Amino acid sequence: MTTVTTSRAAGVEQQAAARTEDAVKIYGKDQVEVRALDGVTVRFAASRYTAIMGPSGSGKSTLLHCAAGLDTLTTGKAFIGDADLSTLNDHQLTILRRDHVGFVFQSFNLVPTITAAENITLPLLLAGRKGDREWIAKIIETLGIGNRLTHRPQELSGGQQQRVAVARALASHPEIIFADEPTGNLDSRAGAEVLTFMRRAVDEMGQTIVMVTHDPIAASYADRIVFLADGRIVDEMHQPTAGAVLERMKRFGE
Amino acid sequence: MFRVIARGLLARKFRLFATALAVMLGVAFMAGTMVLTDTIGHTFNDLSTGVYQGTDAEVRAKAAFTGPAMGGGDQRPLLSASLVQALRRVPGVAADEGSAYGYARLTGNNGKALGNPAAGAPTLGGNWNQVSQLNPWTLVAGHPPRAADQVVIDAKSATDGHLRVGDLTTVLALGPPQRYRVVGIVKFGTADSPGGASVALFTTPVAQRLVAGPGKLTSVLFVARPGVSQQELAANLRHALPHGLEAVTGATVTKEMQDSFQQALAFFNTFMLIFAVIALLVGAFMIFNTFSITVAQRTRENGLLRALGASKRQVLGTVLAEAAVVGIIASAIGLAAGVAVAAGLEALLNALGFGMPAGGIVFGGRTVIVAGLAGLTVTLAAALSPARKAAKVSPVVAMQEVPAGSTGYGSKQRILVGTALLVLGVAALFTGLFAHVGSRVLVVGAGALLVFFAVSVLGRTVSLPLSRAIGAPLPRLRGIPGKLARANAMRNPKRTAASASALMIGVGLVGFITILASSTTASVNSTIDRSFAGDIVIDSGAGLTGGIDPALASRLAKLPQVSTVAGVRGGLAEIFGAPEQIAAVDPQTIGKIFHVGPTQGSTGGLGRTGIAVYRDIAAARHLRVGSVVPVVFRDTGPQTLRVALIYGDSMAAPAPRYFLGTSAFDANFTLHYDSAVVIQKAPGTSTAAALRAVRAVATRYSGTSVMDQAAFKAERVKPVQQLLMLVYVLLALAILIALLGIGNTLALSIFERTRELGVMRAVGMTRRQLRAMIRWESVIIALQGTVLGVLVGVFFGWALVLAMKSQGVSEFSLPMLSLVVMVVLAGLAGVVAAILPSRRAAKLDILHSIVSD
Repeated sequence: MTTVTTSRAAGVEQQAAARTEDAVKIYGKDQVEVRALDGVTVRFAASRYTAIMGPSGSGKSTLLHCAAGLDTLTTGKAFIGDADLSTLNDHQLTILRRDHVGFVFQSFNLVPTITAAENITLPLLLAGRKGDREWIAKIIETLGIGNRLTHRPQELSGGQQQRVAVARALASHPEIIFADEPTGNLDSRAGAEVLTFMRRAVDEMGQTIVMVTHDPIAASYADRIVFLADGRIVDEMHQPTAGAVLERMKRFGE
Repeated sequence: MFRVIARGLLARKFRLFATALAVMLGVAFMAGTMVLTDTIGHTFNDLSTGVYQGTDAEVRAKAAFTGPAMGGGDQRPLLSASLVQALRRVPGVAADEGSAYGYARLTGNNGKALGNPAAGAPTLGGNWNQVSQLNPWTLVAGHPPRAADQVVIDAKSATDGHLRVGDLTTVLALGPPQRYRVVGIVKFGTADSPGGASVALFTTPVAQRLVAGPGKLTSVLFVARPGVSQQELAANLRHALPHGLEAVTGATVTKEMQDSFQQALAFFNTFMLIFAVIALLVGAFMIFNTFSITVAQRTRENGLLRALGASKRQVLGTVLAEAAVVGIIASAIGLAAGVAVAAGLEALLNALGFGMPAGGIVFGGRTVIVAGLAGLTVTLAAALSPARKAAKVSPVVAMQEVPAGSTGYGSKQRILVGTALLVLGVAALFTGLFAHVGSRVLVVGAGALLVFFAVSVLGRTVSLPLSRAIGAPLPRLRGIPGKLARANAMRNPKRTAASASALMIGVGLVGFITILASSTTASVNSTIDRSFAGDIVIDSGAGLTGGIDPALASRLAKLPQVSTVAGVRGGLAEIFGAPEQIAAVDPQTIGKIFHVGPTQGSTGGLGRTGIAVYRDIAAARHLRVGSVVPVVFRDTGPQTLRVALIYGDSMAAPAPRYFLGTSAFDANFTLHYDSAVVIQKAPGTSTAAALRAVRAVATRYSGTSVMDQAAFKAERVKPVQQLLMLVYVLLALAILIALLGIGNTLALSIFERTRELGVMRAVGMTRRQLRAMIRWESVIIALQGTVLGVLVGVFFGWALVLAMKSQGVSEFSLPMLSLVVMVVLAGLAGVVAAILPSRRAAKLDILHSIVSD
């Protein structure tokens, strides 16, 4: 069993909730070898909202997956808190994800056979814990899904489903939340709602979020953007605006 | 990429195999049975033809009546040997010889009687035929019997009994057991024995004394002069024959011989074919399920096909074509496996004591057509409904999200149709069981089939509440994996129900057979406890074909350890036009031993012309004491007996339906055997002491078994138990297939749920929890099938026990322990069925399943 200890002190900005050191991920072998990550060293600061951007095939999703313990690196290291992911086996990784990481995926986030409420507390249920009732109630209230709790996923709109997914990601007080194109399947209004909630989670609840997106508007909600190209970090941007991001992204096309 | 494709293909191959397995097995059993029948028929045809080549005509008495195949078929009175002299002068006769054949049993070198005439092939004794053309036997060692103390035996008995030329063997036949010296060993053509029968051959006078009575013959065989045809010879003989006798050609005798071999196998064939049908039925469910799931998974693809201009008929065609390929492959493999099944069955028959002659396997065109078509038809029929569903997919679906699988209780129509089928099935079942209809087995079978079908149609409706109930304790026991397992089982009730239905059939039949066996056993035990006052029973072990010398009973009666000894005679007679097994007891002793529950009349009236009739038969035929009962005996022909007693306890009686007094029996049967001897110990003597004394006397009668009451009870239920084991083995196979079906369904469902499994793994479900979730879903499905199966089985058992009341099965016994064991085993089986799918699911690559594009 692994325990992750990180200081949650709001003042310590430089504390990394997750980081990678010289991360390399190679798919395939020999001739068809693809270096999806080519020596990425990055820190995701606690209580910060970080976006990862880059053109298709830049390795941004791979970085997210490897940093989150869903996939393993070929060489290099990935940490969540102090835990070195390369030293953990599948079971330990699973427990780590369950207890310390939150996830929001682009779609198919929810288990269709259980209610929204059960989906929100799924990691806690899997751990056999009740969790922090007050905290969960607060999340549900903030996300405005209190009247949807007994519904099954297929009875919810896409936006509602993503809000439930965000609630699930927050429910267990995770060290860090990884979001993979969380608004990719939503219309702009529903997408904006979800992004606003995620922003509030960072600002008001002190959460840490790392989000992969290709949408400059979504990225503009973040505190910092890391730009990837060909498996390497090529740029960084703080306090981005949609316009600035769009300008930066255009340069990838050149 | 290539690896992914190869693995996909491999996975599909397994699915294909699992789907087709049941059909394969069904076809294999059907083909195997047919191949065996053809092979045996062919071999015995050759054998009979060869053996009776020299016989041109046979003279014998006309059949008084026809008994059951196991009891020897046509019942013909004996002939007088003096007839031979007269017939020898008939024109066209070149040579002749009288035959005397009947019951005689050899004893092996270990002192145990050979063969099992009560349950298997007969044990025959006869005369050595001097005319070589008429002699079916081929000596392989020694010489023919020349003196009164010599015997020639068949090669199978020689092997089984470790008897060699020069050894002494005790022969049980008419009169006391006597020892004979083996002087020769024969084969029947190329076979060690004719169909497993044991044969003891003596000089003619000895044979007559032992099996037919002095001066008696069973038939006379003739060789025609050159130029005289078989028909001419038979016609000439017919002119010279007295009334009641007939002459038939050698060809007819051969044909009858061949038919009797086939008939002896008929029961076995029916049994195997029933199993083949069960396997095909189970297979139909599996195919239906697999195709339903694959069609559901390909909804989008089919929608695309429709959008691109494919007609409904074309989509239907693609699915049916796939089914046809599965059906053809399965049937082809099944046919090939049929040869192996036939070989296995032949070995089984050999092991059971039916001596199978060596011969080439006959793989007839009929086998290919019937068994192959059955496999293909079942596959296509099962795939028809999924195919039609595929064709109904609207083209817009191609552009939409695939909707979740069907849920809910099923349409009202389904419930209506299911209920109607159930009512129809139950009605057919009861009609077959209780009404007098032509082919009862067919009606009952059709009824049972309909009930199974109806329950599977209704299965979808009851699936949801059943899954909910069975899975109720899971959330508390296993937390969220348990809750998810239950939710998954309830997710697609149609699929769950179909998987469960396949299991239901096997479990239902096992439950039914178990109940039947336990009820029969309970009835036998309670009857013996209640109405049988015998302390010791000696069984002849000869069945209907012979018995013990009545002198044994007289000798036992002299023992100081016993108070009453009753010899029970047994035989066949035709009563009200139907062959019946009857028995006879001395009216003086019957009341002391058998408490038959007289309802009218008394045993005192059982004189030379009295008959006792079971209450239900008396009621059906409106008989009362004094009513006339027409009986045909083999030896004395039609006789008129009168009802002297109507009894109420059929199982307590010497014979279940009719019995006689000894004097009536002896007046109508030339050969006197006791089929059993029942003994009451003397007051103050222990059963053990009485047993010892009786055994000391009976030991010379090597075929008999001396039993106390407990052993007697066990003996009475032994045939049921033996049948039970055979049925269990076969049904276990059907259950195994059904479990494979559950595994297959789970694997397909997991494939569908890949993404949500990925999400669950990502947010923290451990592999162990994932496996548990799938395992419990499997257990719910398995238990659902078992619960339905047990319900259907208990109902079938109850109905049949009710119907068998007149045969003396008076108790309905619900073997709770067996049923509980069955349910527990089903749960465990569910766990086993889930092993492979859950492992595969646990190894799932999380990333591949959640990254949508």
